[in-house]
Amino acid sequence: MLEINRIDVYYGDLQAIWDVSLSIPEGEMVTLIGANGAGKSTVLKTIVGWLRPARGTIRFDGLRLDNQPTWKVVEKGICLVPEGRGLFHGMTVLENLEMGAFIPRARKAESEAIKKIFEVFPILKGRRNQPAETLSGGEQQMLAIGRGLMSQPRLMLLDEVSLGLAPLITENIFEVIKQINKSGVTVCFVEQNAVLALELASLAYVFEGGRIVKQGEAKALRKDKGIQDAYLGTE
Amino acid sequence: MTPDFVAQILAYGIIMGALYGLASVGFTLVFGVMRVLNVAHGAFMMIGGYLSFWGFTLYHIDPFVSLLLVGPSLFLIGLIFYIVQVFPVIKFTDDHDKINTSLLISFGLSVVLENVALLLWTGDIRSITGTYTENVFEIFKIRIPLVGIVGIGLAVLFVFALYLFLIKTRFGKSIRATAADWKAASLMGINTNRVYLISFALGVALAGIAGTLICVIHSIDPYIGLFWTLKGMIIITVAGVGNIRGVLACGLLLGIVESLSVFIAGASYREVAGLIILVIVLMVKPKGLFTTKVRGV
Amino acid sequence: MEKDWRGWLMIAALLVLLFLLPLAVKSDYYINLLFLLLFNAALAQSWNILGGYTGQISIGHSAFFGAGAFATRLLWVNGVPLLLSLIIGGIIAVILASMIGFPALRLRGPSFAIGTLALAEALHLTIRNILPGVAFLPGKYIATYTLIPRYYLALTLVGVTSIVTYIVMNSKMGLAIEAIRNDQDAAEASGVNLFKYKVLSLTLSALFMGLAGGVFAYYHPSYYIAYPFGIGWSFEPLVMTIIGGAGTLIGPIIGATFFVGLREVLVIRLGEMHIILFGIIFVLVVIFLPGGIVEGIEKISRHLFRGGQKQCTNERRA
Repeated sequence: MLEINRIDVYYGDLQAIWDVSLSIPEGEMVTLIGANGAGKSTVLKTIVGWLRPARGTIRFDGLRLDNQPTWKVVEKGICLVPEGRGLFHGMTVLENLEMGAFIPRARKAESEAIKKIFEVFPILKGRRNQPAETLSGGEQQMLAIGRGLMSQPRLMLLDEVSLGLAPLITENIFEVIKQINKSGVTVCFVEQNAVLALELASLAYVFEGGRIVKQGEAKALRKDKGIQDAYLGTE
Repeated sequence: MTPDFVAQILAYGIIMGALYGLASVGFTLVFGVMRVLNVAHGAFMMIGGYLSFWGFTLYHIDPFVSLLLVGPSLFLIGLIFYIVQVFPVIKFTDDHDKINTSLLISFGLSVVLENVALLLWTGDIRSITGTYTENVFEIFKIRIPLVGIVGIGLAVLFVFALYLFLIKTRFGKSIRATAADWKAASLMGINTNRVYLISFALGVALAGIAGTLICVIHSIDPYIGLFWTLKGMIIITVAGVGNIRGVLACGLLLGIVESLSVFIAGASYREVAGLIILVIVLMVKPKGLFTTKVRGV
Repeated sequence: MEKDWRGWLMIAALLVLLFLLPLAVKSDYYINLLFLLLFNAALAQSWNILGGYTGQISIGHSAFFGAGAFATRLLWVNGVPLLLSLIIGGIIAVILASMIGFPALRLRGPSFAIGTLALAEALHLTIRNILPGVAFLPGKYIATYTLIPRYYLALTLVGVTSIVTYIVMNSKMGLAIEAIRNDQDAAEASGVNLFKYKVLSLTLSALFMGLAGGVFAYYHPSYYIAYPFGIGWSFEPLVMTIIGGAGTLIGPIIGATFFVGLREVLVIRLGEMHIILFGIIFVLVVIFLPGGIVEGIEKISRHLFRGGQKQCTNERRA
């Protein structure tokens, strides 16, 4: 579904990603893991169009993505739940969700989608007229994910969902993400918590210093000695 | 020093205040959405005023009718200037750089515009005087010019039209989202470049409309640019960034305060009052007096 | 290091040349032109200290200029020796700076620019109201008016300003200042006392601006008292410095030369419209060549001499 072919990405003069190729097959739950600053978030930012690769291509269903502006990427069916959530702080929970359904395709299904999201995250329903910034960390994350879903995505990218959240809440949220994946949305998430990531994902790519050093089925990587030592602590 | 006199000054202050508010709405829109300090805002007002002046003296177009022409013309001019003035700046991701550079660019452009106006219209003070500009109403012994009332009415009209546009329409919401967080807005499928372009052009169009009103109610010359830009800066500083209704309120407030200062200290210190307020507010509450919650509008 | 050395030598040579010039050139027109050049260079260099090196863009320097001019003129025409008048003018400007500066420096970026603009304009309007008259030069001063001392005074001022700038920017204080210009927050996080250095920078900048005001008072036979407080005196140093190259030592001087020279050439052809050309050039510089003419020269010499390679080390730009 999404093919990244040998991209190099720079922040100004500083190279962040070297020769990265990866593919996200439809329906899968893919994870990008690795240490801080290894380049995982950069990949997501490049897919969505905030950054342009200096070399290489990105294709979605065969169509070039790397030369498109962000809003076009979103229209094609990719959404990003960014690091730090990117909620609109001047707006209420409901308004944030409504903003999520901005593109024409999503606007038609707006009320249906909002109903569904309130079913999945009942807490949001209770707080729907509250300003987004008054929500707790976990609730904000739920709102960010809900808002992402409003655009009727085929591929959902998530950047560091667990950041700043208590383990229990993180588990709940990832349960929901798993449900989302089961309902047909392809998921690709960046996660620092490698244990959690490898438990949930079907495929994984391991990043180090801006390159992919290992990849494959999550099941297999869980058992990989090198991965265990570096990221999983004592098994 | 009779109450009538005070009331008269206040009435005049309210009229000017409404103009200040209208003049500043476009300024705050541009700054709120793209953090661009359009120092040339006053210059665009001046151009708008001159265009309606031309329309009136050359083709006898009623100034209030010419608003229909001035608005779109300045919108177009805004589109052009966006490319020159804002485009090179948008690529900066650092807000501080953005503001500094846009400050400088718009300052340079305002100087150019000012001197082009000087070239085209000479330095004489211009004003539009027509059949009804001399009409004055007397209410409770206060003399209020007809155009003053129309001016207040139009100012309130335009400000609220903008407000409704931003709150109710889809595009307006996309403007607010972009102003709040442009990256998140892009993730909603919003074409942020188009938002910037339209917002800027809209801001310039509003400036032009304000300029027309000023030409009728007051007067214009090539040097008013700085005067009005300063007023705009004072008002958005006091009202807080992006606060549309607050801008109108603060405009009125400023008009009233200035009038009172005339009452207290004499006419020549009118400008000083506003400037001192600006500095005090900057030091005490840099985010603005009216921003308790950053609601965005 | 090597570049510092060469630039410094060039400046020294130039200074000597300028010093000896009046012996060779007798035409009042050219002496006057050179005076304007040096005077504007001093103005630009003063603004450069706060606006260029420290990165705090002020549009309110006219207050210091006006204050210096006012004090100097007042003292000088009443018999106080010129040098003393100038010094006191500078001190008055510094006092004003502390009154304006201490509150204003708590502001950042555009707020600071707007705040300084507002205060300077407020002062300007106030002075215009209180003292609407003209400052005349008493008879005997007019009778003995010669350009040469004015010329040397301007030369001395720009020289002193530049030397002090150089010394300061190459000291520990200069390091702090460069850090502030680069990234205020990072500087603060590294332990730099933002306020202290901003105040020092402002004080220095105001001092030289005030002295320049004094030179103006000495040079101009008669002018509206409020004139030196006008906004143009805030704009012109800014424009000259940025076109020349903000944050460099020769930038302001190049900018002033460009400004005065071009104005001389154009005023004849274009009259008042030369300002339009300047405005356009200014905008183009800000967009395409933010480092000013100095950056332009840097780029050209880079391509000519080093085949386009950037210097790896961070050169001190004083």
